[in-house]
Parts: sequence; C-alpha cells; structure tokens
Amino acid sequence: MKLRQMAGLLLAVLLLGGFAGVWKLQTRIDQEKRSVFVEQDELALRSGPLLKKLSLEYAPLVGAIYWTRVVQYFGEKHRLHQKNLDLMWPMLDIATTLDPNLLPAYRFGSIFLSDRPPRGQGRPDLAVKLLERGIAANPDHWRLYQDLGNVYYFDVKDYPKAAAAYEEGSKNPKALIWMKVMAAKISAEGESPETSYFLWQQVYDSTTDPAIKFNAEEHLKLMKVQLDIKEINRAADEFGKQTGHRATRIGELVQAGLLKFAPRDPLGYPYVLGEGGKAELNLDSPMLEKELMESRPPN
Amino acid sequence: MRNVWVVATNTFREAVRDRVLYNLVFFALLMMGAAILVGQISIGIEESVIVSLGLSAISVIGIFIAVFIGVGLVSKEMDKRTLYALLAKPVQRWEFLLGKFGGLVMTLTVNTAAMAVGLYAALWTVKHPLERSDWYLLVAVYLILLKLALIVALAMLFSCFTTPFLAILFTLGLYFAGLFAEDLRTMQAISLTPETMKLFRGISYLLPNFENFNVMGVVAHGRSVPATLVWQDTGYAILYAAIVLAGAAMIFSRRNLK
Repeated sequence: MKLRQMAGLLLAVLLLGGFAGVWKLQTRIDQEKRSVFVEQDELALRSGPLLKKLSLEYAPLVGAIYWTRVVQYFGEKHRLHQKNLDLMWPMLDIATTLDPNLLPAYRFGSIFLSDRPPRGQGRPDLAVKLLERGIAANPDHWRLYQDLGNVYYFDVKDYPKAAAAYEEGSKNPKALIWMKVMAAKISAEGESPETSYFLWQQVYDSTTDPAIKFNAEEHLKLMKVQLDIKEINRAADEFGKQTGHRATRIGELVQAGLLKFAPRDPLGYPYVLGEGGKAELNLDSPMLEKELMESRPPN
Repeated sequence: MRNVWVVATNTFREAVRDRVLYNLVFFALLMMGAAILVGQISIGIEESVIVSLGLSAISVIGIFIAVFIGVGLVSKEMDKRTLYALLAKPVQRWEFLLGKFGGLVMTLTVNTAAMAVGLYAALWTVKHPLERSDWYLLVAVYLILLKLALIVALAMLFSCFTTPFLAILFTLGLYFAGLFAEDLRTMQAISLTPETMKLFRGISYLLPNFENFNVMGVVAHGRSVPATLVWQDTGYAILYAAIVLAGAAMIFSRRNLK
C-alpha cells in the first residue's frame, strides 16, 4: 500500500516536472523561432463567397468570428506600433460577405480603414467601398450614410459628396435632424472647425465602444484646440484694433475683457501667444505632438 | 395511435435514461463563456454573437443527436432483440417507426427548448431588458427544430435498410447536399448542357432543402421572419418528413427480421 502511494506520488511529481519541462522548452522554441522567421501576416482564404459556402448555415457566426479577428488584428498592430494594415480590407471583405448585415463591421471598419496612420490604414477609398456595400445591403440604416459623409468630409475632403451622403441619409424617417443641417452647412461652407467638432461629437455620442469613443475623444481634443486658437486669435485681433499693438500675453486679453479667462488646452496646459501675437499650444503640452502628427501630410 | 404514443413516450424516457440531455451542460458552459468573453475581444457584436453562437450550437448539437440517436432507433432494438418482443404484440411496424420518430422529436423538443432558455439567459446577461426583436429568436429555434425532425426521418429511413455506419454517412451526406440544393438550382455554368442543367434543377427539388430553415442571419440582427415563410417551412417539413417516413415504413414492413 505504502509502495503504491509512493509510486503515485512519484508519478505525479514526474508528470508535473515533465510538463514544466515541456512548457520551458516551448517558450525557448518560440524565442528561437522568432529570431529565425520574420512574422508574416497570412490569410489562408481570401474568397468571401467560398468561405460562405464552406460555412454551411453558420455564415453569420463565422462572419462575427472574422470581425473579431479584424478587431484583434487592428489592436495587435496598434499595440506593436506597426503601420502595415494590409490584411484589414480582405478581412473586412470576408466578414461582410459572410454576414452582409454585420453593421459594426461597416461602421467601425470604415474608421479603421480611413483614419490616418498610425490610428488607421489611411485608405479612405476602401472605407467608401465598404460603406457603399453596407448601404446597399442595409439601406434602412441611416448611420451608414453618416459614416460615409464623415469619410468624405474628414479624409477624402470631398465636401459636395459629404453633403450628398448626409442629405441622402437624412431622407430616412429615423435619421436625426442634424443630418439635414450638416448637408446644408457643408454644402455652403465646406470644412470648418465647428462642423468637424460637431461631427466627432456625434461619433462620440453614438458609440458605446471604449476604443471608438477614445478615438473620437482624441479628435475632439484636437478640434477643441483649433476652436480655442481661433477664439484667442479673434480676441488678439480685436485687442490689436483697440490698442494699436499686438498683445504678447494672453493675460492682456483677459484684462482687456476680450476673453473671460485664460483658456487651457484639453490636457490643462495654458495656450501662449507666439511670434506675431498668434495663439499657439504650450511647448510643454503633449497636445503639441498630437497636433503635429495630425497636420503632417499623409504618406 | 395509442400504440404510437406508447412507443414515443418510451423512446423519450430511454433517451433521458441514456443521458442524452447531458449535452445541455456543454451548451450552458459555451453560452456562459461567450457572454463573458465576446464583449472583451470584439466590438459591437456582443448580442449578435450570443445569438448566432447560441443558435449554431442548438443546431449542431441537435444534428448530432438527430443523426446518431436517429440511426440507432431501429438498429439498437434489432441488436438487443427487444424489437421482436415488441412486434409480437399488436403493434404494427409503421406504428413502431412513427412512435420512435415521435419519441426522438419529443427529446429534441425538450433539449432545444432548454437550450433556448439558456440562450435567453446568456442574452439577458449582456442586455436587459430584452426587446421585442429578441423574441424573433424563437422563430429561428422553431425552424431548427423542424430541420432536426426532418433529419431524424432521414436517419430512420437509411437505418431501415443499411448498417448504422452507412446510415450515418448517408444522412450526413444528404444533409450537406441539402444545404447546397439552392446552388444546384441556380448554378450557371457554360460547360453544362441545357439538359444537364434541367437534371440538376430536378435533383435540387428532390433534395431536402435545409437552407429553408436557416434564418439565423436574420434574427441575429433583430429582424423579423415573415409569418408566411414560417407556415411554408412548417408545411415543407411535415410533407417531406411524411414522404420519408412512408418510405421508411414501406421498407421496414417488407424487411425480413429473422
């Protein structure tokens, strides 16, 4: 009996030790492989229709799995600061072919595709293609028109097409009234910081997803900087007209009653007046880097 | 009909005794895992994944039960020689077959209903209160049940004239072929002659069209299923199952059981 117990104990120890060895060895093999092979993104099957057939009656589930793969792929690339998002479109193509009613894939997928690197792939043309496909499959969903308008407005900078998308979406009885207002405003004025701020606010308010909310919040911060600078410059110009010289500090504008208080950027850093008395971001503010990233020309 | 009812209730009791309903534990774990995980690894599809995963699991588990137990309904009775004792009583062979069919459909109904409750519980954890559109799921569950009944009928037909292994192969083969029945009908190929295309078209109507019962994609996105379609599918399943069971009864009644 005692011998059997001993044997059992020995076997348990051996098993534990054996598996610990396997685990240790596998981690070493993984490290070794990483140094030998350059990781390559692969997508074994690129044909959506073929995958749909192979999915039998379970295409909606496989579509949802593919969409989850898109999210994971995007998140991983973002985490590793990798700009190559070449598989984004094929995977979105497959996900939406498998389930043409998969609205999140169109809505968030178009943001991933159109946003400028490093936030997205910088391919608004593919985002437009994706959204047009989404609209064809889900014509009653007015938010897709909003997304199409946003891509034309922010990324393609084609304001007539943006206005047309908002206008078309506004014809849906469920669409919010601002869609029609935006169509008219963009048609008349083109791009303006106020319009951009409003549109990003709509994206922020209409999503519950933390990642998309964060993205919209980042854009809103940048838009707020533009609006603040516009307001400070307006006050500085007025100050110049009243006193005959440009203000050198924002405090002067507050003292003159042209600003109620010294504005701060979204991260809490006070704005400064630079050369020529024009408002600028504080050199210490991390917003400066974000703004530079945003204003650099696309690759 | 009393004989049919007695055989059916006994088949149901036997299935419960054979622990067929244990699959519900697996289903419950799957749904709990999905409800916890999906929200963390994806965006905006928590509800639709719960629904499509739940319905797919109900379908796959149901198909396994329908095929594997359905094939064994007749052959097991013959192997254990309990069939001879039963047929010595005033029970017709067709009554035996119909009772067996009814018993397994009863088991599948209880199983599917329990899984549907589990699906709603999982859905409730990611979204409450439930909306009106969430009740469309019941239509999808009902259509899955019709599909399963049809598969049971096919499994019984094959088990009447061949070995259990071949009957499983034939049933699964016909199930897969039935999923592509529509493609066979709409196939456009340059190399096919008009006669061949007509032949394919004819075959496509003979095959059980299992795509008829697939509304997962519709209900997963909160859209309703037209009532007409539900009635038509019900009629299709009853008619097709009746033809298959009549064929099975005919073969079984002529089969030499010695």
